[in-house]
Amino acid sequence: MSAVSVKTRAFVKQLVQLSLVDGRVSSEQVAGILEYLEKNPPARPVALLQAYHKAIAAEIAKGEARIEHAGPVTAEALAAIAAALGQRYGRPVSPLATANSTLLAGLRVRIGDDVYESSVAGQLAALSAAS
Amino acid sequence: MSTVLAQIESQIAKLSSKAVRKNTGVITTVADGVAKVSGLSEVMYNEMVAFPGGVIGIALNLGEDEVGCVILGDVSQLKQGDEVQTTGKLLSVPVGKGLLGRVVDALGNAVDGKGPIASSESYPVEKIAPGIMARKSVSQPLFTGIMAIDSMIPIGRGQRELIIGDRGTGKTTIAIDTIINQANINRVGLASGDPKFRPVYSIYVAIGQKNSNIVRTIAALEAAGALEFTCIVAAPAADNPANQYLAPYSGAAIGEWFMENGQDALIVYDDLSKHAVAYRQISLILKRPSGREAYPGDVFYLHSRLLERAARLDGKGSLTALPIIETLAGDVSAYIPTNVISITDGQIFLETDLFNQGIRPAVSVGLSVSRVGSAAQIKATKQVGGKLKGELAQFRELAAFAQFGSDLDAKTKSQLDRGSRIVELFKQPAFSPISIELQVVTIYALQKGYYDSADLKKVTATSVSIRDFFKARQDALLTEIRTKAALDKDLEAKIVAALDAWKSTAA
Repeated sequence: MSAVSVKTRAFVKQLVQLSLVDGRVSSEQVAGILEYLEKNPPARPVALLQAYHKAIAAEIAKGEARIEHAGPVTAEALAAIAAALGQRYGRPVSPLATANSTLLAGLRVRIGDDVYESSVAGQLAALSAAS
Repeated sequence: MSTVLAQIESQIAKLSSKAVRKNTGVITTVADGVAKVSGLSEVMYNEMVAFPGGVIGIALNLGEDEVGCVILGDVSQLKQGDEVQTTGKLLSVPVGKGLLGRVVDALGNAVDGKGPIASSESYPVEKIAPGIMARKSVSQPLFTGIMAIDSMIPIGRGQRELIIGDRGTGKTTIAIDTIINQANINRVGLASGDPKFRPVYSIYVAIGQKNSNIVRTIAALEAAGALEFTCIVAAPAADNPANQYLAPYSGAAIGEWFMENGQDALIVYDDLSKHAVAYRQISLILKRPSGREAYPGDVFYLHSRLLERAARLDGKGSLTALPIIETLAGDVSAYIPTNVISITDGQIFLETDLFNQGIRPAVSVGLSVSRVGSAAQIKATKQVGGKLKGELAQFRELAAFAQFGSDLDAKTKSQLDRGSRIVELFKQPAFSPISIELQVVTIYALQKGYYDSADLKKVTATSVSIRDFFKARQDALLTEIRTKAALDKDLEAKIVAALDAWKSTAA
């Protein structure tokens, strides 16, 4: 992204704003933007599309709670986590669960740049780093 | 077996079930000791960030899309895609008396092989300098042990006095001499049992120097018995630029602990030219806009915020700073020298020509100045050496003039002769600082004409002979000069009597 010019960055920002509907990335909006860019190619299309891709990925990650769990987690629990995070961040959050046995027990939730660590593996790592 | 199980259970009980929130990012590029990280949306300027493998870094560039971090440690294990976490902490170093006699790196880790540092406190490396109300004017002297400086360019506790000159002109020697002199004064003062005595602890920060030079400095301090009152912060030339950039701030944090705890400290930054170069390297890698001589725009702030931390605090202690700047071909009007000259409270300018003529320390009296002036001088020094600077300046002017003509009047000849004697008197070998009472006696002898009969070449030897005589036979008189710190008629009579006694033995 560092190679991207200030002008391109500002344009990407505008495109990202246009891609959102109710604070979430809309696939229809994105498809429309891509179609527009195909018909009206910018000066450096690859750099712009890469920057747009990165920005949209970051935007999606903000609305997606990636929940890693060691044991079984009920759908209600996942929904409760998503609701709590949605309230905290002030935007709709959808849960995306994946099993991860290396956590030993507990959960690890990743949303945007933030990671909520309550797994045993994470706590043991913190202990070993402190000692 | 049950105790083992209980231990494990208690350890499990300690593990909180509460979720810990961390702000993270991912390394996008890592090169030249700098990592570009995407994410870290909540990182703060100068915050410590944690890289995998226990490596730490500092967030220096907060961009819209990515954060530029300088890495303090081994970068070889880091790669693109590695996760980085914020720590919510500012970089801090261990402080306290446990650092005396030790050599540490820019992060406060011991590098002298003497085991871990005995310290329970730490101070942030970056700290806002004391404000106006907290400060007190500089009025207590800090003796360097160098006659030319103590008598003409006096330094006070809490002052920032720049030592500037070309390479190989004796800049470091002056700084080391000053540290050795503080150790000598500390030893005498602590042995005297005077409750009002305030020792001065020293911090020597070596930035971008050869390891062999640092070893030589340590050896010189150790040989003089000064290491026990000194802490050395080493960021040698082989260290990464981030450590070289941080080392002076770490040293300042160590010195501030003494100042905040009602003690006096002296810090030497050797040297700030290399510090500016290290910062320029980091800034260019971080792609910050460059200005004059490719230094970034905030290179003045780099040094001003560092040197402003040296102060004399009201009701507390002081931190005296001796920054060193290396010039090229005596050019004091270059970018970094002018910056630091404008920040400091004076400068000691060392001249290559004087050094090559054998006048060492090669202090240029005309270009050197102490803006604190005689406020930081004891009365005895003012009494004996108050006019020396003027006399020397006059001598230099006359000497330049005398080169053009051979016929000189008697007055000019006597002025030239006296000037030459002063120059000879101020010659002093390296690592042998002279106590202030001996300086007073030496200069008093000059004022009373005790060197007039000596051959010009033998003035230095004569002054050494006087000092040796006083050290061996006039210990009580020297103590009296030190404690009174001013010459009254009675004391002057005693000094004259002692000098006469020396003259009779020397004849």
